[in-house]
Formats: sequence, structure tokens, C-alpha cells
Amino acid sequence: MSTVMTTTAPKETTGQTNVGMHKVVGWILHNVVWIWLVALILGFGMFNEFFLTVMNMQNIMVQATVLGMLGLAVALPLLVAEIDLSIPANLGFSSAIGALAYSDWGMPWFLAMLVGVGVATLIGFFNGLCITKLRMVSLIQTLSMMIILQGALLALTQGKTLTNLSDGYVWIGQASIDGWPVMPLILVLALGLVGILLKMTVLGRSIYAVGGNPLASNSAGIRVDRVKIITYTIAGFLAGVAGFLLASWQMAITSNQGSSYLLYAIAAPIIGGVSVFGGRGNVVGILGGVLLLTVIQVGLAITNVPSFYVGMIGGFMIFIAVAIDAIRVRYFA
Amino acid sequence: MTGQTMKHEATDAITDVGSGTDFALRVENVSKSYGAFYALRSVSLNIRRGSIHGLLGENGAGKSTLVGIISGQRTPSSGAIYLDGKEVANADVRAMEEAGVFLVTQEPMIIDHISAAENLMLGIWPSSGGFVRWGRLKADAARMLKGSGIDPDVNAGRLNAVARRKLNILRAMFSGGKVIILDEPTAALTVPDRRQLFDFMRQLKNDGVTFIFISHYNDEILEICDAVSVLRDGSLAGGSEDVASLTSEQLSELVLGRGLVLFQRERRTFASEPVAVSLRNVVAHHVDLDELDIRRGEIVGFTGLPGAGAKELARAIFGLNAARSGTIGFAGDAGQSLPRHPQAAFDRGIAYLSDDRRKDGVVGHLSIAENIALSSLGRRASFGFVQRGQEASLCDGYFASMGIRAPNAEAVVNTLSGGNQQKVCLGRVLATEPRLLILDEPTRGIDVGVKQDVLRIIDGLSKTGVSVIIVSTDTDELVRAVDRVCVFRHGAIHEAVTGDDIATENLRRLAQA
Repeated sequence: MSTVMTTTAPKETTGQTNVGMHKVVGWILHNVVWIWLVALILGFGMFNEFFLTVMNMQNIMVQATVLGMLGLAVALPLLVAEIDLSIPANLGFSSAIGALAYSDWGMPWFLAMLVGVGVATLIGFFNGLCITKLRMVSLIQTLSMMIILQGALLALTQGKTLTNLSDGYVWIGQASIDGWPVMPLILVLALGLVGILLKMTVLGRSIYAVGGNPLASNSAGIRVDRVKIITYTIAGFLAGVAGFLLASWQMAITSNQGSSYLLYAIAAPIIGGVSVFGGRGNVVGILGGVLLLTVIQVGLAITNVPSFYVGMIGGFMIFIAVAIDAIRVRYFA
Repeated sequence: MTGQTMKHEATDAITDVGSGTDFALRVENVSKSYGAFYALRSVSLNIRRGSIHGLLGENGAGKSTLVGIISGQRTPSSGAIYLDGKEVANADVRAMEEAGVFLVTQEPMIIDHISAAENLMLGIWPSSGGFVRWGRLKADAARMLKGSGIDPDVNAGRLNAVARRKLNILRAMFSGGKVIILDEPTAALTVPDRRQLFDFMRQLKNDGVTFIFISHYNDEILEICDAVSVLRDGSLAGGSEDVASLTSEQLSELVLGRGLVLFQRERRTFASEPVAVSLRNVVAHHVDLDELDIRRGEIVGFTGLPGAGAKELARAIFGLNAARSGTIGFAGDAGQSLPRHPQAAFDRGIAYLSDDRRKDGVVGHLSIAENIALSSLGRRASFGFVQRGQEASLCDGYFASMGIRAPNAEAVVNTLSGGNQQKVCLGRVLATEPRLLILDEPTRGIDVGVKQDVLRIIDGLSKTGVSVIIVSTDTDELVRAVDRVCVFRHGAIHEAVTGDDIATENLRRLAQA
């Protein structure tokens, strides 16, 4: 077949430099989360010199840990083109179960923690079953699960804050080596494991394929329902670990533990490039989204922005990140 | 370039520009470049008012680019477009539609859960003060739909393929369409449906509507078109205002720029070969089959009207449609019940290629390599981890042997043409090393050159001992590619044809009777 046509095309030097520019702009926009992150860190540092101190960086890492675990948990169902809104509520409920297993049922703290994480994993598994086997719409099913779990947490705690946590249980949230907190290591470990899972395993490949085209994946021999159930189960497990970490760090479980994370936990992976339509995204992007949101939160808290404006300004910063990403997809994809 | 040596005797008429007024649409020296790459190079077309003008070319020859420019979706890099003798400049889709040019795509843009009448009036609801005037809408729709055989009150979701396409064409006309571009309107239509659609087009043509008709099928072009233009590698390769004087071979030669050697399988008898696949008592939706044996290396064609059981049986064997009963045995073994999921089917050496690539064939945003590996991921993994090196060599092997046209195996599948996507699908199922390969309309929507490639690959595979089922409504394909044709009716094999009885007319008669 004659494919040599293009070699005879007239030279267009201006066209080529335009292509070059286009590529540069495309690259900038592609990494916009990281560039925006560096810009914000420098910006906040100029407003408040405390921001760039090692201590504050450690603070940011700790703050990012729970959000990071939740961001990973939310990202997995998004990758298979579903959603799980119940993840932050799962965090609160399962950590309360873990705490009560220690304080009221007399279990050793480690076992109690495992019970909490186990409950969270089962809730994720149950969500997966509902969405695949019963064909429930994930948005509504997990919304109702979120309301159930929030209500259940309130009922369990009777509106009080649980503070009777064992020393072993709170260790991970408080421990530090040479002043460096230990807790972020769990996030690093989780990012690494999920990254390996997505990149190198059959399951990971199947997740991307199912998210991209479930029908084609099915006829390619992938058990679509099974893949979805597994992703929901892993998401539940990650929510449970996040619940343990948050309780350990705060040394308390409030009657609405976790609910404030909902929107940020969904926003972080999406800002980091996980498509809400499924099949696209990776852990590096998720980490970027998580750090960006945390830097905005911490930065606004320690620069002297009056608290009445913090929510609005934070919202605008997220809006800009998402808008730039939308422009990238529209013109440079 | 081979262009200069091409036969051009039929093209003179088209370059002879007339007064301009009897042309509904003129395209003059239109080029479209992306950087240094030319998708279209100085293409000129003259399309007579009230004619059906065919547009032919391979996948990637520039048809979609040209049609995109004519319909206002893309802007040309240079050149001009004249409607009724007046130049239209920098027009977008809306402006072109207002000027009367409409593109009717393969996927009918129809909303299923509202009536045919409202679909016809979508966006142009007759209204007063913001309220839809339903009485007027229904009356107008009923008038438009008269003679098309479509009930205005029926839910559009219940219309069949040909009615949906008619509805789309009518919608374009009702919105003021004078030039209507039909992009492969016959895809997935049966022979009688196609005839019905062509009659409908002729009727509209006599009312003064001009059509640009895109098709991969020479016989369709020869049957319905008054004039034809052929694109190749972004340039006009030729054309004719006197289609009646052309033959199918001449058209193929214009499309490919070389003499096309049509593939023809060497048919032989398989009576002495051992039975490789035996199907027994298969009952499923639209399927009720007593028995079918396929021999080693044999290619069997399944054909029949939609719902007659050919496609349904193929999907049931692969576990895509649940079978109520039925067994499949290999090489004379006792036989097991049919697989209940494609994964189980692949594990037992059954592979299936869907007729609808985009729907359930490829995962568009993944790379060629990832798509090829998709169905054999599990069996090539160790402890759940993908074996990168092994996978890469496998994918490179199929990438090369399928002759996929792409920069490399990392290219994203969405960027490939239909024919190349089909080769990727074929590579994916072949990578599972099947004993029984089921191909559902393997050459639908791909151009005549790639079609020969695909048929040759299948032929070669059968010579290694693989048994093949080809489900097809393309009688020409059956005639050239299979050893035995099973004509389905009421879910069972109505008649099996072998040897020289596999002939176009014979098959058409059997399928429709």
C-alpha cells in the first residue's frame, strides 16, 4: 500500500515551531498539579516564613496521610467507572467498632484494630456485591450506605467522643523518629502497593480495561463483576486503615468522625487526573492531588487569612486546578 | 506515487467544471494539513443537484476529513466550498446546517424513549411562547413520515435499524437539508432493509435532495450512485459521472491504486479430517440446534436473517449469551456443557471476535499491546504479576504478523482506523491460541484491502488445524472464505451448502426465503 505520501509534503517551518510550542504548553498543563503545588508552597512560604520550615512540612505529611489513604480508596472504584461515596463514613464507623472492641469487649488493641479494618473491608465487599450482582447504581447505593454508616456511628457513640484508646492503638499516630513522624510511612507503603497492583498485576490491568470498556473487557474474558467487587473490597480495606490512622493520630473518635473528608477525598484523585469516566489515572497523580489539597488547607490555616474566607479561597484554588486540567483535556489531549 | 500511472479514463467528466448552477455543492482545491502531514491534498468535487454521489476510499484515505470539512466540523487549511454557486467561508456545523448541509452518521442520533415524531422535531419543536405546540408537531411529523412506514407515535427505541436511519435522513430533510451526507448508512442492515433504504433514497432524490453516500461496498455504489469519487492517501484518485459504465474491479483498483487480488480460499472436502468440535442440543434465546460437527481446519460460515440464530448460536458457544442447555466437545471427547462466561470459553480454547469493535471489541484508550494481551493476561501471569518481557514479545509478534499500521505497539487504539482496530482484536483472540475461532462479521466496516488481509490471516490459521466459524451476512465474503455455509432459520440449521453450491445468488435466495 502506498504510504509514502507524506514525504513529499512541502516544508512548513512555522507549523513545526507551533507544534513545538504546543508540546511545551501541553507538557506544562499535563503536570499542572505538581507545578501548581510548588507554586503554592513558595507562595505560602512568602506570606509566612513558618510555612517552609521542616516542622510544617512534617505537619503537612501527617495531614496528607489520612487524606491520601482515602484518596486511594476513592480512586479504585473511580478507575472501574463506578464511585464509592461511603468511604469517609466507613472510616468513621469502622474505627469506632475497633475502639469499642478494645474498650467495651475487652479485646487486645491489635485484635480490636483488625476487627475495625475487617468490618471496613466487609462493608466495601458488600458495596461491590450490591453494585454488581444486584446492579444497583453505585452513586445512590453508596450514598445510602454513607447515610447508614454516619447514622450508625452516631448511634454507637451516642453522640459522645470516644477517647478510651489503648497506648498501643495510638502509637502509630504519635510516634516519631528524630522528629519525623512515622505515620506517613503507611501512606508511602500504600501508594507503593497500589501502584504495583495497578501497574504490574493482572488485576491492575483488568481494572483499567474494565473502566475503559466493560463490555469489551467481558468479551475479552475478564470477569468484570469480580474485578469490581475486588476494587470495592480493597477500597473498604484502605478506608479501614485510614480510620485506624485518623483515630490513632487524633487519639479520639468523634460522633461524626470522617465526614468532613468526603468532598476532599473525592476531589483529590480527580484533581490528580483520575477520570470520573473510568480507566484513567495513577498513584503519582493521586499523590499530587492529595498534597495539593493538604497544602491549600494547611497554608490557609497558618497564613493569617481570616477563617471566614478560608473555605471560599480554598474552593477557588481547587477550582483553578480543575479548570486548568479541563483546558488540558479539551485542547491538548 | 502511483497516482500518475492510474487509469483515469473515467475521471474526465468530473474535472470538467460546468456552469456551476447545476451543482448543489462544489469543493475546490480543499487541503487539510496537520503539521507536516496532509490528510487532504487539493481535493475538488462537483456534486450535481438531485444526484446520489458516492464517496469511496480506504480507511484513512481522507473521507472522514473531507466530509468533516463539508459538514462544517473541521476547517480546511486551504480551498473553498461553494453551495449553490455561492462560497461558504469559515462555516461551523450550525452554519452549514442552516445552509442545508447535513451529516447523517453511522450511529443514528436518536433518543430511544421519546416518540418518532418528537425525534423528528428535536431542537426544532414548533412552539409559541416557549410552550411546545404538540398538535402542530404531530401533524407536521405525520406528514413527513407518510410513505416512510414509520408510525409517528411509536417510541423510537422500538424502531428497527432501517427505520432509525430513515428517521435520521428525514430529520435532516425536515431541518432544511438540501445536501445530505450519509456515512455508511447500510452498516448492519440486512439485504431487504438495504433495498428499502435505497428505494427511499431514490424517492427523496426525485424530490430534489442531493446525497453524498459513503460506503465500503462496491456493489452498493454501483447500485445506487449516479456519480462516484474515489479518495486515496488524501488525494482524489479518480471518479466518474457515469457509474453504469464501471465495474466493481475498476472501483477496487481506483480505491487501492493497484490491481486488487481478491482472496479466494481453496475449497476442499473435509470428510477425511477428524471431527474437532461437536455441538449437541444447544438451546438458547433464538437457538435450537440438534447437532453440528466441525472438522479440523474447516471454516464454516453461519448466515441467516437477524434473529434466525446464526449470531445467537455463536455468542452462546462463547458464553456471552446464556445457553439453557447444550454441550461442546473437542476432538471426540465426551463434551461438557457450554461455557457460562467468556473466560471459561477462552480456557477451553474457544475464542470469539465481536462484530462491534467499539462496543465490545477494543478498550479504546489502552495501547495496541495492552489490547492484544488482554485476553491472555491470566494464563501468562505468574502469581498474578504480568510477565512484561514475555508479553512484549508476544505483542510485537502479533503487531507484525497482523500488519497493523501504526507507529508502534504503544499507540493508543482509539487513534487507529477501523481496519487496524479489527486487526488488533484479531491479534487479541489469536493470542489465546484457540482450537475454535468464532468471528462475527470479521470484515464489517473495513475497506476492501484490509478485508483481504483479514481473510488471508484466517485462512492461514485454519491451515494450522484451527476450526473456524465465520458469522456473516456478506454473501461475497462467504463465497470466498469458507468451506461450508450453514443457513439458519428459526434457530436451527435450515440448510448446509458446500462446494460449488456456495454461490452469491444461491445464498441470498436461501437466506431470504
